[in-house]
Amino acid sequence: MAVVAERARRGRLGGPLARREARIGLLFVLPCFLLFLAFRFGPGVAGVLMSFTDYSLTGGGRFIGFDNFARLWEDPLFWQALRVTVLYTVIAVPGTLVVSVALSLLTRRAFRGSKVFRSVFFLPVVTSLVLAATVFVWIFSTGGPWSTLMGWFGFPEGSWLSDDVLVIPALALVGVWSRFGYGMLILLARMQDIPRELEEAALTDGAGPWQRFRYIVLPQLKPTLFFLAVIETTASFQVFDAVYTMTGGGPANASYTLVFQLYDAGFKYFDLGYAAAIGVALFVLTLVVAFVQRLVIGKDQ
Amino acid sequence: MTTTTPVESPSADGPARPAPVPRDRRAERKLRRDAERDSVPHAMRGTRRGRIARGVLLGLAAIVTIFPFYAMVVLSLKPSAAVEFPGSLVPWPLTGEAYDSVMNAQDVPRWLFNTLVYSLVSVVGTLLLASLAGYAFAKKRFPGREAMFWSFLSMVMVPYHVTMIPTFAMIAKLGGVDTYWGLIVPTLANAQAVFLMRQFIKGLPDELFEAARLDGCGEWQIFRRIVLPLLKPILATLGVFVFLWHWNDFLWPLVVGQSTDMRTLTVGIASLQQQNVPLNVVLSGSVIAFVPIFAAYLVGQRYFTEGVTASGIKG
Repeated sequence: MAVVAERARRGRLGGPLARREARIGLLFVLPCFLLFLAFRFGPGVAGVLMSFTDYSLTGGGRFIGFDNFARLWEDPLFWQALRVTVLYTVIAVPGTLVVSVALSLLTRRAFRGSKVFRSVFFLPVVTSLVLAATVFVWIFSTGGPWSTLMGWFGFPEGSWLSDDVLVIPALALVGVWSRFGYGMLILLARMQDIPRELEEAALTDGAGPWQRFRYIVLPQLKPTLFFLAVIETTASFQVFDAVYTMTGGGPANASYTLVFQLYDAGFKYFDLGYAAAIGVALFVLTLVVAFVQRLVIGKDQ
Repeated sequence: MTTTTPVESPSADGPARPAPVPRDRRAERKLRRDAERDSVPHAMRGTRRGRIARGVLLGLAAIVTIFPFYAMVVLSLKPSAAVEFPGSLVPWPLTGEAYDSVMNAQDVPRWLFNTLVYSLVSVVGTLLLASLAGYAFAKKRFPGREAMFWSFLSMVMVPYHVTMIPTFAMIAKLGGVDTYWGLIVPTLANAQAVFLMRQFIKGLPDELFEAARLDGCGEWQIFRRIVLPLLKPILATLGVFVFLWHWNDFLWPLVVGQSTDMRTLTVGIASLQQQNVPLNVVLSGSVIAFVPIFAAYLVGQRYFTEGVTASGIKG
């Protein structure tokens, strides 16, 4: 009945009811859509256009073609930022994925306290990295817990945050700490949908825990892992909060990331056109990586 | 992550209501756990050794995860000099000195207020706008609907940083730097929120709205009296998320709130960190900013896990 009524109502496209519905629909969407046009879509387009100008808060705004991108290409700081960002990603993303998979496997089945563990592991995800960074600065300080712990493994005493080689691994560790709970939760949700018969069949064939994971669970998780890899890569390309708070890009630009450069160019030197070009470069990079990941990981999807 | 409650609590209708039976939540949890466990074949449950190994691994992981929070709280309660490791992690002697100085001498109360304004106004605004738009996208036919919806979705992929620079330029031109509206208004256009709302409202039966319409309800009344109450679960989920997102937001408040008075907590604490403020004072600021996050987390944990899985897998 309802379907028929619905069809009859919608059938008369030009009818007064349909016109009324269209008016109401537009009216309800409009506030959101206007905001969206003004603050997302418009700036998205403007961001690309701006990267072709010398726009700055003090003046300018002339079209200068690819000059900003040529400048980026020759800017050693950009290459440093790119190197730092890629290095951070290469450590943080696999780290996050491995820890996520491990902990989702460990908390997969319900047992006494399994929910408490899941909640604990998700807590860093909801915590602001700026707040966490204040204590991580102490954790990594000379003579602090991390430096002491690493001393047992033969690392020289001293703060990883003031070492130009170790600063990125240190920041990536903080990144893993703050993100693995998210991956764990997504994987747990996916694991609940894996048909149990598959594992039970493998079990009767005599497959051990590792074999069941390797040949049954892991292939089923592949799409989810791909999704997480894309999300985490995008997130780590945009790493900023922890860098700003913990190292300020130092020592000697050793933790100067792409978004840090964007912030520097835009809001320290008010060179907004150049900052927009860095934003576009970041966007292109994100697309390329998502595409490559799709080729490598998602071959049979 | 959803769990069904096997024991229904007594319903509250009629004056002759029976005395509420106290629910043995612990027993309920155990029942659920056992049921879930018993559905797993015995051989897959692992040996006793395996379970002990799992416990040890999880315990270690939990300690590593919690350690920064523990250190944050204990160090913030220390008198200023005692920040040496490992002695400083012994919770003795503790004092509230750092909290006194951060609340009195610094601008933390003002930043707390700013953060509250930023978070709460954004939550209300985003939820209202997104539920209106979500309802229209899900249940109304109007010209340009699909085009509008897909333009919303496509922007999810564009990094925030590309749009941030022009947005800032525009806000600066309009005189929105160092104002609440400059801080809040650009964040109200939340495509993910609209998407989530649309998905949820699509699942609501049309008959409800039809019936209300036949009873003579206007569209606004239908929205207020029927749609919004039905949206409660998703509004709670999304509300908690939007709240936390704003509470923790850093880059946008950093560039828009340039004067000391217009900083949010995260921006303020980052600025404390860069000045020569003693560690315990900075950390007490962090703890103050963390308490509402933790409270929201404890209260809305179920919403979190559901929201993450829903938005994560469908988005």
